[in-house]
Amino acid sequence: MKPDALRGHLDALLLATLDGRQLHGYAIIEALQQGSGGALDLPTGTVYPALRRLERAGHVASDWSTVGGRKRRTYRLTPTGQKALHAERTAWREFTTVIDGVLGGGGKWAQT
Amino acid sequence: MGADLIDGYVADLGSRLQGSRKQVRDLLTETRDSLTDATEAHVGRGLTEREAQERAVDEFGPVREIANAYQAELAVSYGTRTLIWLAVVLPLMHMAWEYGRMLLIGPWQDFGTAPPSWYLFVAKANDLTSGIASGVALVALVLGRLLARRCDAKLLARLGATVALAAVGAVLLGNLSIIAATAHLDPARLVQSLPMTFASAVTWIVIVRLGLLARRCLSCATIVV
Repeated sequence: MKPDALRGHLDALLLATLDGRQLHGYAIIEALQQGSGGALDLPTGTVYPALRRLERAGHVASDWSTVGGRKRRTYRLTPTGQKALHAERTAWREFTTVIDGVLGGGGKWAQT
Repeated sequence: MGADLIDGYVADLGSRLQGSRKQVRDLLTETRDSLTDATEAHVGRGLTEREAQERAVDEFGPVREIANAYQAELAVSYGTRTLIWLAVVLPLMHMAWEYGRMLLIGPWQDFGTAPPSWYLFVAKANDLTSGIASGVALVALVLGRLLARRCDAKLLARLGATVALAAVGAVLLGNLSIIAATAHLDPARLVQSLPMTFASAVTWIVIVRLGLLARRCLSCATIVV
């Protein structure tokens, strides 16, 4: 999947990846790639500014800790982030339902 | 030998960034960690160390593009910090100065004859400037948080820097006005109390410091990496 197509959804993808767990940057990138079956092809460096943006919005909180002798910044969802994720999921379901109704097998567009 | 690739990438990235030293250091530490993790993962999949590092750096993205995205966040962060300083320091500084004046000099009306109305207007405007500048900084902070995900970080950083510069500019103008007005009315009042002259000097140092912070905000927000 092209990076440009993903950018608008990166925040939601990151929130979903952090749902119920605490991860450091590269673990988030790996989880994103695994979750998409390797289809998400985004420069991994763009994930860190996006995490900072989510932190600024109060949706994500981070802490530094030392793991295996290396300093790690781990991220977790805040209650506000949990609400934002819920809103993103609802909006996405509505969006896909509408688009699927038109582009999917049953609509008039599919028959023409 | 292989480590040179990651070191080189991180050094190149670091040389393009401007902002709080701690924030830059944190971002670079995270970048190095990510590249090291990716290298280990690729080595685990059968690549040589060198190949794994090349792949990791390639996947991380072109250094210019990544530096641009990092710089935007650094600029927003620097702007946020400066606006917090403005929101807190300006009213405190003004209140401290006014309290000192009342204590050491007394009300303006105690100077024999009451000052003319234009002087009181300038004094009142100067009193209000700090409060208004602080309030504007506070509103900008709240808006910045609300717009964090909706507004482009570069635009947000530029707006923050503009607000910070305007706030410091207004306070600077207010202080210059009251000094000029006092000098016009009765220059002796400017040096009537040594402690207050010292307090005024401290006020000016703080304003200049805030001005430099605001200017650096703009520099962080407009730097081409």
